[in-house]
Amino acid sequence: MAEFSLDALGEACPIPLLKVQKKWPDLKGGDVLIIHIDHSCALKNIPEWARKEGHNVEVEEVEDGVWDIYIEKTA
Amino acid sequence: MTEAQTATTLIRRSPATPKKKKSQIGYTLAAIAVVAAIGIFLAQIKVLLSMIWFLGIGLGVILQKARFCFTASLRDPILTGSTSLTRATLIAFAVATVGFAALQFTNLLKGGPVIGNVSPVGIHTAIGAVLFGIGMVISGGCASGTLMRMGEGFAMQWISIITFVIGSVLGAMHFGWWSEHFFNAAPKIYLPGTFGWAGAFFGQLALLGVLYVLATWYEYRKSN
Repeated sequence: MAEFSLDALGEACPIPLLKVQKKWPDLKGGDVLIIHIDHSCALKNIPEWARKEGHNVEVEEVEDGVWDIYIEKTA
Repeated sequence: MTEAQTATTLIRRSPATPKKKKSQIGYTLAAIAVVAAIGIFLAQIKVLLSMIWFLGIGLGVILQKARFCFTASLRDPILTGSTSLTRATLIAFAVATVGFAALQFTNLLKGGPVIGNVSPVGIHTAIGAVLFGIGMVISGGCASGTLMRMGEGFAMQWISIITFVIGSVLGAMHFGWWSEHFFNAAPKIYLPGTFGWAGAFFGQLALLGVLYVLATWYEYRKSN
């Protein structure tokens, strides 16, 4: 149950999603990846990609225009 | 995290005290006041200008709230396998087809000329499309997306818009060369002129419909 975090602040779409996809093989089932983003476009495509792959996703707006996306890898 | 955690619930570790966000109602009211004031000012010059102004603001709001993005409509099918924005774009094209056909056909019945732009098509269309495609994926948005994200406060898009303007100026400077070598020789194809009005109108809608079905199939083919 490890937790990873990715900093994608200031990165325009689609870089945040590509970072997640690159990091993804390092995660084991049950691990959680937290991505910090501030580009609204990533707010749409990261959860969409993760849910499509069957993982649990939650989004939280931590500041105005800054979001944390939590993805839990299903085993 | 506890051992009791199930696979369906994600246990979140939020900060103990969530940061209190500043209220944005003041900014919203100020923005509405400015928009209304400019609208009234434009209406005094010409009512049409004011209508265009409010249409533009409305489109911007929809673009932002719907997270609509022309770049993503072509990029996401490959990157995420999602075609929701692709289908949204196809619906937008279909609506625009009906609207433009109505405008053009009405004008034609009155004996007027064809309204709107009919531009020459050729190899330059493909070159431009590839260049624009590369550019908009790198810069994180097409023209409307860049403008919308500038407003959202994503600072990098301000650099995008500056280079966008520089590129447009360069393009305008070289327009003569392109006209001479490509545009003048290229054919102008106006679909109603080629296929007739019924064929062009229903043909285009049918093609968009087929693409819509294909896009839906593409997104859900894996889950079945």
